[in-house]
Amino acid sequence: MKKAKEQKNYLKVRVFFVLAFFIVAFSLVFLRAFQLQVLESESLKAKAARQHVRSVSLRSKRGDIYDRNFKELAISIDVDSVYARPTQIKSKRALSRALAPIIGLKASEIRRSLSSGRGFVWVKRQIDLDEAERAKIAAMKGVGIVKESRRYYPNNGLASNLLGFTGVDSNGLEGIEHSYNTYLSGATRKISGGRDARGRLMLFGDTGNVVPVEGMSVELTIDKTIQYVTESALQSAIDKTGAKGGTAVVLAPATGEVLAMATAPGFNLNDFRRTSPELWRNRTVTDSFEPGSVAKVFVVAGALEEGLVKPDDIFFCENGSYRVADRVLHDAEEKGWLSVSNIIKYSSNIGASKIAEKMGRETLYRYFSAFGMGTKTGLDLPGETSGSLLDVDKWSGVTLHTISFGQGVSASSIQLATALGAIANGGFLMKPYIVKEVKSGTGKVVKANNPVIMRRVISAATARSVRDMMVGVTGEGGTGTKAAISGFDVAGKTGTAQKPDFEHGGYRKHAYVSSFFGFVPAENPVLTIIVTLDEPQKGHYGGEVAAPVFKEIASKSLTYLGVTPQGDMHPSYGKKRGAAKALRSGVGTKEVSLRRGFAPDFTGLTMRKALRVSREGDFDIKMIGGGLAVRQSPGPGRPLKGVKSVKVWFQ
Amino acid sequence: MAVLKIGDTDRFLVLSALALFVMGVVMVYSTSYIVAINRFGDEFFFIKKHLTYAFIGLVMFVAASRIPYTIYGKLVYPILLLALVLILFIYVPGFGFKAGGARRWVHLGPLAFQPSEPVKLAVVVFLAYSLSRKAERIKDFYFGFLPNVIIPGVFIALILMEPDLGTALTLSALVLIMSFAGGVRLRYLLGLFVPAVPVLIYVVEKHPYMLKRLLIFMDPWKDSLGAGFQMVQSFLAFGSGGVTGVGLGEGMQKLFFLPEAHTDFILSVIGEELGLAGVGLVIVFYVVFLVSGINITLKAKDLFGTYLALGLTVMVSMQAAVNMAVVMGLLPPKGLTLPFISYGGSSLIINMIAVGILLNIYIKNAEEAS
Repeated sequence: MKKAKEQKNYLKVRVFFVLAFFIVAFSLVFLRAFQLQVLESESLKAKAARQHVRSVSLRSKRGDIYDRNFKELAISIDVDSVYARPTQIKSKRALSRALAPIIGLKASEIRRSLSSGRGFVWVKRQIDLDEAERAKIAAMKGVGIVKESRRYYPNNGLASNLLGFTGVDSNGLEGIEHSYNTYLSGATRKISGGRDARGRLMLFGDTGNVVPVEGMSVELTIDKTIQYVTESALQSAIDKTGAKGGTAVVLAPATGEVLAMATAPGFNLNDFRRTSPELWRNRTVTDSFEPGSVAKVFVVAGALEEGLVKPDDIFFCENGSYRVADRVLHDAEEKGWLSVSNIIKYSSNIGASKIAEKMGRETLYRYFSAFGMGTKTGLDLPGETSGSLLDVDKWSGVTLHTISFGQGVSASSIQLATALGAIANGGFLMKPYIVKEVKSGTGKVVKANNPVIMRRVISAATARSVRDMMVGVTGEGGTGTKAAISGFDVAGKTGTAQKPDFEHGGYRKHAYVSSFFGFVPAENPVLTIIVTLDEPQKGHYGGEVAAPVFKEIASKSLTYLGVTPQGDMHPSYGKKRGAAKALRSGVGTKEVSLRRGFAPDFTGLTMRKALRVSREGDFDIKMIGGGLAVRQSPGPGRPLKGVKSVKVWFQ
Repeated sequence: MAVLKIGDTDRFLVLSALALFVMGVVMVYSTSYIVAINRFGDEFFFIKKHLTYAFIGLVMFVAASRIPYTIYGKLVYPILLLALVLILFIYVPGFGFKAGGARRWVHLGPLAFQPSEPVKLAVVVFLAYSLSRKAERIKDFYFGFLPNVIIPGVFIALILMEPDLGTALTLSALVLIMSFAGGVRLRYLLGLFVPAVPVLIYVVEKHPYMLKRLLIFMDPWKDSLGAGFQMVQSFLAFGSGGVTGVGLGEGMQKLFFLPEAHTDFILSVIGEELGLAGVGLVIVFYVVFLVSGINITLKAKDLFGTYLALGLTVMVSMQAAVNMAVVMGLLPPKGLTLPFISYGGSSLIINMIAVGILLNIYIKNAEEAS
């Protein structure tokens, strides 16, 4: 019995040993937990965060770019990107071999990327796979496909210099893609967490944070058809004349909207990497040149406005040779006495100089400045040049004269087109713009551009006089007869400028910038067009090489827009989009005054304008039909009295 | 059960197991729902199965607490035979099921289970019976030592052949500890290591991944994207949790970074989501369970009850300690579940049966005392 009890005591001791053993074991476990969770917590946390955050930046689908009629100019399409998780791959060699023919990479290249030591690698990004290929990849372990969006330009080279392009990281590098990148790319969200170890998106918790915000779409003022017409006319002129390049801009003079903007040679946007970066610039905006004779238009406009000359005043043009200070000025055609109108018509340098003499430096400078020389137009495209207009204090003895025929001053195509617009529209310098609207993915208008009047440069009467003189240019005996379009009055001006020789000073012998600018129909212009050709080889006079390009762009565009020789607009175009009519609205449309609690007068407004007006009031607008507002309910000026929405009918 | 009094060991025992189980249910859900949605399109896929097993376990628990534990002593040989049959099923085509390079599972109709779990229970019953019968002659090599080594040794060998090194080793440790408590001479027990070493070397050589695991255990950061991936991810989970954790369900590591998050590595998720506080709580509950089990051991009137209670307590505590040590990198990876908490049918059911038997030992003892 005693022995049994003794044994029981020994048992007790041994059981306590077991208990102690486990207490120690659990204590050690707790101490280890303390070490991991308190002492090393910070460094482990940082490591963990790195692996989670590394793969959670969400890129939104880039917004599309449309022309004014909602034709696609740049879109984002879904493509496949193949990734791998090397740790899950059994045989890198076998996998690389299997993958190589599908994605078109060398097996050795794939193996190299698989061996980079990272947990997640892109094997090939942005490729087009068909269903069978996708299924093959899906069956492989450790490899997967994600949808990414890639930029695609459905018209390849159309408006290339204007649209620009994006890099592989989906950032706009040039053109609209660059200047509107923040809108187009949408919000790129970084969230802490959200992708699992396989790199897949995990939605959990507050999903509102995870849903990517789609990029906004940009609607341009560009008309795809006019853009096409412009580009092909420009290109064929380059082919014909052997010019190094050329530019053309088409504006709506009433509003400042850019309808077309071409730089030649262009490039294929879908393959931009294969072309020289030299070609990527939008030279209508980035490059300036000495305008030559087209500048005479601004001299005459200023002199008329100041009342210094009248259209019929005559000047002696020295029979083609006029000594000023240390220089002798020449005319292409030797003329005696010429009226102001004929100075424009025959493009007399000496005549222009004499008008400038009458104006004096300050006045001439003031008018050139007012027309926008030496100042950026503020068009929202990257890299705009301001051109150059020498400060009046720095003018030498002959500057006044040379500037009057466009030497010693330089401007970009867009500057000259904008300036000419002021003559076309009755005296207003309009700020040019190329983006009509920016819309969010949900269709909400985020940004809308409207016509902006910079200033009145000349009176309507002066504008009319200058216009009449410019019509003479394309009339019989003028320098720009090749720009004439049968049935239409065309106001225009030729320009032929020798290119400055930057190495030796002075001007180069056989290098010209040949240009033509004008507007049609002269009475009630819809289009302002400027064409420049850089160093044409076969012929170099603006009236000879550039005027036909103008004619082609203008006549085709007028036909397309349905503008009749009488100046009427074809109804279908206007009705369809309300767009062509808007080309003529803008300036001259009445200002709509808003009185709280009363319905404003919508009649005669475009839908866009009506919408804008309604946004300023405390009511909604219900728009019926299309075109211009003809009727509304409640009527103009009627009290709203609790009415929440105003109905407006358009025709 | 409203008020807990010191000495109410049965309540401590049951409540600690229950607390661990409830934590398990919550954590299995938190850990598995994303995987479940991804793989099965049903966030409750795993938790439903888990609760089904838990229900079976609960029935077994109640039954075990009602069945007089002395009956196991009488049925020790049928129990051993049943265990033997079960584990041999693994090698019967049509029943045995290979997963991850090892035959550990048996399919019986809709049920899949690991025979090594009931084997553990059978070995504990056998040892308790054997040790309590030997009494005086326990110090003897032939009577006290050999039978207690050879019969469990057969099972250990069979488990080793699956191969399931983790279970084999913990079962070996269980045999050692019980034999030690039963009074088997320490030098015989220590002498076991002499033949064990070549066997271990043989097994490890035959299955190279085991050696790899062992080496990686020394420094998992060396190959943090390869073999050390799981360990490193586990460390990151613990570290991310800090003291208070990132919050229930908020953990990132379970999103495929941490393989087996809802089974073997569930403590890592607890560490991440509930922090040191959660891990500490788990340890406290295991300690409560351990102390309660030891208390029942010491109060048991007969030797069979004593050894049985000790064996069951050690069985659960051992697995808990080893699992926790593994996920924190104190021991090489084993493939063991965390008792009461991990998702895992067979393990949960067997552990609940163990609690039921412990409770019955307590009840019988209390009845006799009064």
